[in-house]
Amino acid sequence: MKVLVFHIGADRYGLPLRQVRRVLPLLELKGIPLAPDSVAGLMNLHGEPVPVIDLSRIGGGAPARQHFDTRIVVADYTAPGGEVHALGLMAEGVQGVQELAQQELAPSGVQAAPFLGQVAGDARGMVQLVEVDALLPEELRARLFPAEAAAQ
Amino acid sequence: MNNLSIKNKLYIGFGSIVAIILLLLILAYNNFSRLTEANGWDKHTMEVLIELDRVQNASLQIQVDARGFILTGNESYIASERDNAELLKQHIAKLVQLTADNSQQNDRLKRAQTLLATWADVNIHRQFEKRRALGDTKGAADILGQSSELKEAAAVVSAARDLLEQAGDEERRLLSERSAKAIELHSSQNNLMIGGGIAVVVLSVLIAYALARAILNPLSNLTTGLTRLGSGEQSARIEVTSGDELGKVSEDFNKMAMQLQAATKRELDLTNELRDKVDSLMEVVSRGAAGDLTAKITVSGEDAIGKLGEGLQRMFDNLRSLLTNVQKAGIQVTTSATEIAASAKQQEATGVEQAQTSVEVLSTTKEISSNTSQLLKTMEDATAVADYTTSATSEAQGNLRRMDQTMQNMVNATDSINAKLAALSEKASNINSVLTTITKVADQTNILSLNAAIEAEKAGEAGRGFSVVATEIRRLADHTSVSTWDIEQMLKEMQSAVSASVMGMDKFSEEIRRSVGEVRQVTDQLSGVMDQVQKLAPQFDAVLQGMQAQAVGAQQITETMMQLNDATQQTVESLKATSEAVHQLQYAAGDLQSSVSTFAVNA
Repeated sequence: MKVLVFHIGADRYGLPLRQVRRVLPLLELKGIPLAPDSVAGLMNLHGEPVPVIDLSRIGGGAPARQHFDTRIVVADYTAPGGEVHALGLMAEGVQGVQELAQQELAPSGVQAAPFLGQVAGDARGMVQLVEVDALLPEELRARLFPAEAAAQ
Repeated sequence: MNNLSIKNKLYIGFGSIVAIILLLLILAYNNFSRLTEANGWDKHTMEVLIELDRVQNASLQIQVDARGFILTGNESYIASERDNAELLKQHIAKLVQLTADNSQQNDRLKRAQTLLATWADVNIHRQFEKRRALGDTKGAADILGQSSELKEAAAVVSAARDLLEQAGDEERRLLSERSAKAIELHSSQNNLMIGGGIAVVVLSVLIAYALARAILNPLSNLTTGLTRLGSGEQSARIEVTSGDELGKVSEDFNKMAMQLQAATKRELDLTNELRDKVDSLMEVVSRGAAGDLTAKITVSGEDAIGKLGEGLQRMFDNLRSLLTNVQKAGIQVTTSATEIAASAKQQEATGVEQAQTSVEVLSTTKEISSNTSQLLKTMEDATAVADYTTSATSEAQGNLRRMDQTMQNMVNATDSINAKLAALSEKASNINSVLTTITKVADQTNILSLNAAIEAEKAGEAGRGFSVVATEIRRLADHTSVSTWDIEQMLKEMQSAVSASVMGMDKFSEEIRRSVGEVRQVTDQLSGVMDQVQKLAPQFDAVLQGMQAQAVGAQQITETMMQLNDATQQTVESLKATSEAVHQLQYAAGDLQSSVSTFAVNA
């Protein structure tokens, strides 16, 4: 499978390409007052407001630094109810696309966060898969997609 | 008690005695009346007893008469029977009347009265009738003696007699009681009289003693005090023990004694004061006679001694002020003479000093003359040096001007280098903006390639070839980015080098400017020096002329000093003569002072 590789701190992580809609440069985001720290803001995607969360923050680190290779990845977030939402992910150190063979993937063995998946090793170290659908805790999901929460 | 007047004391004393006697009399009277009453009762009882006896007698008389008649039948025996019965009734009636106060006796006697009346009126007459009926029959007396009438009459009369006997016994018992009571009263009367009499006598004696004491003691004190006063003891006083007339007399006596003592003491004080005054006057006068006028007369007043003291005081005051004035004048003369002598000596010394000073001035003046000529030579040398300085300074000025020109050229060159460096910096900035554009394009290309790779992945197998192209594009973009970054770094280095050069040039041109300013300042100062040196020459000429004038002046001073010296010598001579005269005056003043100082005028 092919993954989009990015960094949290010094470590490499991979987003499965089939869940990525597109990659955008770092845009001006509208701040959301009183939102949790992990929410970076709101962006305008062709007239549609899309919430952006900071992957570095959600991964437990400092906020993402605004480097030339810090991007906003628009991903498909499938809610437990089956609805698909566009979700912006602010990722640091977006390097590019990498092919990971299925047989290289192995369970990490440590379940630290719900969105961290299998790991694969290569010449430059290890890449861990990130499950987009498991990124948002329930409380944050209810805040970001209130309509769905109301429907449930 | 002590504060009562004598009259009141007497009244109280005698009044109390009279009261005691009156009390005693009342008690005695009371006892007498009770005794009298007891006697009355005795008499009454005796009367009752007598009457009882009379009743007995009367009844006996009737009985005797009746027996006589019964035995004999002779009517003469009972001729007075009516009278006797009447007598008996009278006596018994009187008896009943007498015992009206004693109900028991009265009852008893009334019963007896009834019995006796019945006996006298009925029983006796029945016997008489029976006897008359019998007449002169033999044994009439015995028949009658055996008859029931006689026995009946005997029973009645014996009952009456018993009652009378009982009444008599009762009366005798009362009589004995009453006489015992009377005897008791009599003895209490005796005791009262004896006890009261003794009490009266004792109280009278006590009162008389107290009165005598209250009156006689103050009198004896008074007498003793008067005797002591009379014998000349003026401090004699009487102790006032009571508030009565004698107490007042004692107080008055004390007052009188006190006034007498005070008067005597005042007289003695006056005499002593007079003696003291005369003594103090005498002492002041005798001290004055010995030459001591400081003593003060303390005696004053309106009397003759006071006037005398005041007159003496005035006299002493006048004398003292006169002598004080004389002493002061003497001291003043002495002081003035001493001052004159001192000032004369001072003048003399000043004269001598003046003469010496004149000699010193002469020698100094000569020195001034020789110094002046030496100075003249020195001044000429200085003038020459000043001329040389002037020419050297103007030469230095020319050199400095040339230096200034060179500096100006250097400043201009620096400015042009600066302008070129600024142009270089601007060019570098332009390159920088181009590089930014390139970087943006590379970035966009990178994103584009990423998105292309994503789309290719989504297209699946159809996008495989496109995926390769996307990867190539991304690599190209990455290369561009790296190269651009390299160029950027080089440009940054170049820019910093240019900035450092510009700053160095700026600093350099600033230093040059400052040096130019300093050179100009030096040039100006040198011009000032030259002006000053050129001004020196005429001043030196003026100094030379002044010095020549000084030399002439010194000569004139020398001549004047010679004349002054002669004059000073003459002054010294005359001052010596003055000093001599002042010495004589001093001696005279000393004599005056010593003769006056034998009088002491100040305390």
